[in-house]
Amino acid sequence: MNAPERPALDSIDALIHALQREGYFADRRLATAVFLALRLQRPLLLEGEPGVGKTELAKALARVLGRSLLRLQCFDGLEQREALYEWNYAAQLLHLRAAEGTAPASMLEQDVYHPRYLVRRPLLQALEAPTPGALLLIDEVDRADEPFEAFLLEYLGEYQVSIPELGTIRASVPPVTLLTSNRTRDLSDAIKRRCLYHWLDYPERERELAIVHALVPEAPRQLAAQVTAFVQQLRSAPYGGSFQRAPGIAETVEWARALVALDTVQLDPEVVVDTAGILFKQRDDLAALDGRLAAQVLQAAQAAA
Amino acid sequence: MLPPSAPLQPAPQRVPQLGDARSGKLAGNLAAFGRALRRAGVPVDAARLALAPQALGCVDLGRRDDVCAALEAVLVSRAQDRAVFRELFDAFFRDPELARKLLARMLPRAPGAAPAPRQRPGVREALAPPRAHTPGQAAPEQAMELDAAMTASARERLRTADFNQLSASEYRLVERLVRDIPLPLPTVPGRRARAGSRGARIHWAHTLHAAARHGGDVVALERLQRRRQSLPLLVLVDVSGSMERYARLLLAFVHAATAHVQVNGLRLALRRDVFAFGTHLTDLGPAFALADTDAMLCSASQRIADFAGGTRLGSSLEQLRRQHARRLVGRRTLVLIVTDGLDTGEPAALAQELAWLKRHTRRLLWLNPLLRFEGYTPSARGAAVLHRMADGMLAVHNLSRLEELAGAIAALLKTTRR
Repeated sequence: MNAPERPALDSIDALIHALQREGYFADRRLATAVFLALRLQRPLLLEGEPGVGKTELAKALARVLGRSLLRLQCFDGLEQREALYEWNYAAQLLHLRAAEGTAPASMLEQDVYHPRYLVRRPLLQALEAPTPGALLLIDEVDRADEPFEAFLLEYLGEYQVSIPELGTIRASVPPVTLLTSNRTRDLSDAIKRRCLYHWLDYPERERELAIVHALVPEAPRQLAAQVTAFVQQLRSAPYGGSFQRAPGIAETVEWARALVALDTVQLDPEVVVDTAGILFKQRDDLAALDGRLAAQVLQAAQAAA
Repeated sequence: MLPPSAPLQPAPQRVPQLGDARSGKLAGNLAAFGRALRRAGVPVDAARLALAPQALGCVDLGRRDDVCAALEAVLVSRAQDRAVFRELFDAFFRDPELARKLLARMLPRAPGAAPAPRQRPGVREALAPPRAHTPGQAAPEQAMELDAAMTASARERLRTADFNQLSASEYRLVERLVRDIPLPLPTVPGRRARAGSRGARIHWAHTLHAAARHGGDVVALERLQRRRQSLPLLVLVDVSGSMERYARLLLAFVHAATAHVQVNGLRLALRRDVFAFGTHLTDLGPAFALADTDAMLCSASQRIADFAGGTRLGSSLEQLRRQHARRLVGRRTLVLIVTDGLDTGEPAALAQELAWLKRHTRRLLWLNPLLRFEGYTPSARGAAVLHRMADGMLAVHNLSRLEELAGAIAALLKTTRR
């Protein structure tokens, strides 16, 4: 394999820098957890509020490792045929029809259950990925139901699956696996035991500022600082209690972009209320952020800065 | 916070290899740390503990924050345990003696006192010695008396007797009886599918198998039929003073009746969340995870700090919205609020919270024990709001009403929502 030259990830600092080059600003705790997951070859379970960058981490890490990203989005009712594999039955039937009477039964059977009629879904693709292997992201695993979790447990333990017609498929290079959960329900202890665990918090101010600078380079320094300070206040006490869902990093970045597009130089309560639809997506939250509250939060943000 | 270069006290200065970590003092310290975590209520099993030295082998032991992060990634698996972990880590790896004191503070325990025998009420009952007979009375007669208490007519009377007017012994009997009342909640078509004769999608695997038996000819198309599943359940039980007598019975009833659900002849676990509310909300999830109803009641009464206090449904619901909104699954959840509606909070706030809850659930039903009175009208302020907002009001004041509950809920689910 003539893979492009990658920096050696032999320390936590090296990992932080590599992620940063891909535009992901990880704090040291997160980097330690990821580093251990890579070293110990364990799946990493990431929990946290929506919009703290769980999925982004997987994307950045895939680029760092040069692995292809395979994403399995979980949903209620997810079944093995959508997650693992399925036979292409229509093609098999056509084949049967075409070969009718020309071949003995045993030949026909071999032909019909040929790997080319196998429709590979993300979990199988992750096992068959060529070196350097795949990065498997199992997104929002809490949305799938318990039977799927039990199946996943087996998969994550062995990194092999058996297809009755073909035999066992074993991973040549075990995939690097990240699981994310939004905590709509508690995952089973068994699956937690198999994984390393990290709780992703909202980023602290310096880190969020760095993210805004990196993703919205056209934003003036002054504005970027004001935007992050404002959002930080919105998330923390006493203002965080007024809202049902705090804005995530994605919202901060979008907001900064919108303010730049509006040629805003300085935040004021009026601008905040006019553009609040980017920060909050719920009607109650939008109603809660009126001019008076916006002015208070702005003041608190200035005081904290 | 120590400077990053400060070495860990119990750990050796430099451990270059995995083997060294196992033979050195580190292994012993890790085991002790694991025990301390477990005593503080953080679930740490042996497999995780075995992974810890390997994890430490990957990081620089001179960096305290890295060691903390590494151990946290390996040993912690729940968001709520992180605070305990960090506090204990700080204390333990500075001074294990200090950690022991900290732990003692976390777990108040009188020194020297023997722990009370922990037996579930059912077990205690089973192990209790038979009562000594008084000389004058013959044993067989006593046994006869006991039988008479359980005759059909007595049971029949108990079925319609109000929970609030039971004598102590009747109350104990009813507490047993409520556990046997089933609550077969209605089911809805789910997303998962199984082979069946009806259904929109074709089950190609089965069709092909059948075709193979007929020389490759497709004789009949097998179908994928949607599995039926139960609605997720959210139960809010009022444990205020006015509900004292009902709360315990209804908790026992809900625990036993909703442990499993029969779907197409299969016994499936039901997704349920149970909260108690008085002046604030208490999550009874951990108590309801226990299989035994006595153990559940025991654990629940330890958790509920505001038992037999006042009622503030509005602020309890606000707490539900802020902290546990994710427990509501899609908009499918069936919500049962068990209360007499004698609420001391602000009706406007209650109406607002109920409107939110109603928007996010399939049905919001009010189980009201006060319906025992003929001609009851919800005229108390909180009750009026509840009556206006709820999709239905059902009676739960005696055994026969509990037996009819499932049918009443099913009927309400069939009607279209107001």
